[in-house]
Amino acid sequence: MALIELKAVSKIYRVGNQQVAAVQDFSLEVETGEFCVLAGPSGSGKTTLLNLIGCLDRPTSGEVWLAGQDVTRAGEKALADIRLNKIGFIFQAYNLIPVLTAAENAEFTLMLMGMAKKNRRQRVLELFSELGLDGLENRKPADLSGGQQQRVAIVRAMVAEPAVILADEPTASLDSQASEELMILMQKLNRERNATFIFSSHDPLVISHARRVIKLLDGHLEQEL
Amino acid sequence: MNLLSLAWKNLWRNRRRTLITLIALSFSLMLLQGSHNLSHGVYSSMIDSGVRAGSGHMVIYQRHYLDSRDEKLTFAPTDLTAEIAALPKVEAVLPRLYLPGLAQSSRESRGILLTGVDPSVEKMLNPFLRKLPASEWFSASDGHEAILGSRLLKELKLKPGQKFVVTMQHQSGELVSDMFRVRGVVATGIKTVDSTLMMVGLDRAAALVGVKGKVHELAIILMDQNAEPQVWPQVKMLLQKRPDIATYSWEEAMPNLYNAIRLDYASSNFIFVILLLIVAIGVVNTLLMSVMERFREFGVILAVGARTVRLRLLILTEALLMGLVAMIVGSCLGALLTWYLVAVGIDMRTFVSETLEFGGVVFDPVLRAAWDLPWMLRISFYLLVLSFLAALYPAIKAGRICPVAAMRHY
Repeated sequence: MALIELKAVSKIYRVGNQQVAAVQDFSLEVETGEFCVLAGPSGSGKTTLLNLIGCLDRPTSGEVWLAGQDVTRAGEKALADIRLNKIGFIFQAYNLIPVLTAAENAEFTLMLMGMAKKNRRQRVLELFSELGLDGLENRKPADLSGGQQQRVAIVRAMVAEPAVILADEPTASLDSQASEELMILMQKLNRERNATFIFSSHDPLVISHARRVIKLLDGHLEQEL
Repeated sequence: MNLLSLAWKNLWRNRRRTLITLIALSFSLMLLQGSHNLSHGVYSSMIDSGVRAGSGHMVIYQRHYLDSRDEKLTFAPTDLTAEIAALPKVEAVLPRLYLPGLAQSSRESRGILLTGVDPSVEKMLNPFLRKLPASEWFSASDGHEAILGSRLLKELKLKPGQKFVVTMQHQSGELVSDMFRVRGVVATGIKTVDSTLMMVGLDRAAALVGVKGKVHELAIILMDQNAEPQVWPQVKMLLQKRPDIATYSWEEAMPNLYNAIRLDYASSNFIFVILLLIVAIGVVNTLLMSVMERFREFGVILAVGARTVRLRLLILTEALLMGLVAMIVGSCLGALLTWYLVAVGIDMRTFVSETLEFGGVVFDPVLRAAWDLPWMLRISFYLLVLSFLAALYPAIKAGRICPVAAMRHY
């Protein structure tokens, strides 16, 4: 059974009196351990798809299955629990909480899960070491570079060992060198930890790192490589 | 890091705004506590001075006396005076007779209220008589010496040492007269009292109207005005065999003073409520601003798996922490202000030249506070509850955030 399954999913937004189809009749299967990219220009439906997979939004029609569970009809509390336990998010603008230190940000999901402070700090420090963030645990986000902040965001996404990590244009705010480093790091985590990554991008450099490329255009699947 | 420490850190995100809100909350609490304690102090001293000069903290009358103040409703205290005086926390029992009559000098006549008192205890306890030199006080209960109100003395055109005649109705219905000599003069500052007061020995007053051994009032003075709940049942017990008489609280015996204080407390409370409402609006504003600023962040928190209830709890915890800090700081400031008002007070003599009168009682022109700790704790707790209530709307609003929309928010 596929880790993620989208069955004829459509998402239609209402803008004023008009209806805009962000995603139309889209089907997709993603297996555990995949490293795939949703590629396409702006407005092609990449973020909408990630939101649907990430249980942040509900499809207008169709079904979304995650780890054998139909999440389309799940309630708000159940969706929050699925997001907490099965999905890791990496955002374009890092979205770290400014008043917390790097380590506190990284252990935020573990705190929500109710894990003891000592255990969660230990887990975070292991990942910090793996991602080259040693010594930055007590720095606030404002004192970190963009690349460092995004790596902290990766730790936050990965620390709870979710079924899938969703990254919405993770390199959009980084320069080319930091983007390259981040992609290599994500590849490494995918390879060594068998973590499933789905990310969106329109950057050819980022797309070149993906093992599976799903090209989107106007909410449709244009091509799969 | 947990919800509490996150809430604490969030509180100091906008240091200046939080400080301004905290200052507003703390100062409001300080003012509330300070002004209440000042009122409490002034009223306590007024009640004390009022009851000592008037009905006592508790008072015994013949039943129905309070309804009509009919001078015929006397009773014989027998051993009651000594028995009550022997009770713990009772300072003294003052037997009194109140008799309306007419005082005549060689030049004028005036209506008076003759008060028959026990000279051995009355002077020690009545705050107006304490100032009187010993040479101007009488010691014999059956003598012909009298203390007059300052205005009455003036209106009768008398001087200390001069004689005058008092006429009143005997128990039998006959008119009786007796001659008295002015021994001392009392100025209470209350016009009606100063123009009608005439104080003589209890035995002389009783003999004049034919009610020997009887009184209208047994005023019970307590060592501490808060001891009333303990003394009340004991006095009731002593009165079990006397169905003709009953015990009354000073509030029942001096309704003018009691109602004046109640009215003043009510208007103070109204001002307090308005002040608290203004403060609450400030808290709502601060928290709402804080929520609006963190719209995107809340979207992220929800996206990574927090339930809306946790987000709402976070906002409520922030408000409670703010309330708690304001409660501690405000109470410390309130205690400091109260301490100053207890030790130094506010000297009103700069503003008023005459004695201050309120509810028929004169009070010290140097206003001093008194500690009312239960009230201070209660109002502090209200502030905490108010902070919590003020956070409800921002918390509800935060819980309604849609993570996708919020993360698009800049």
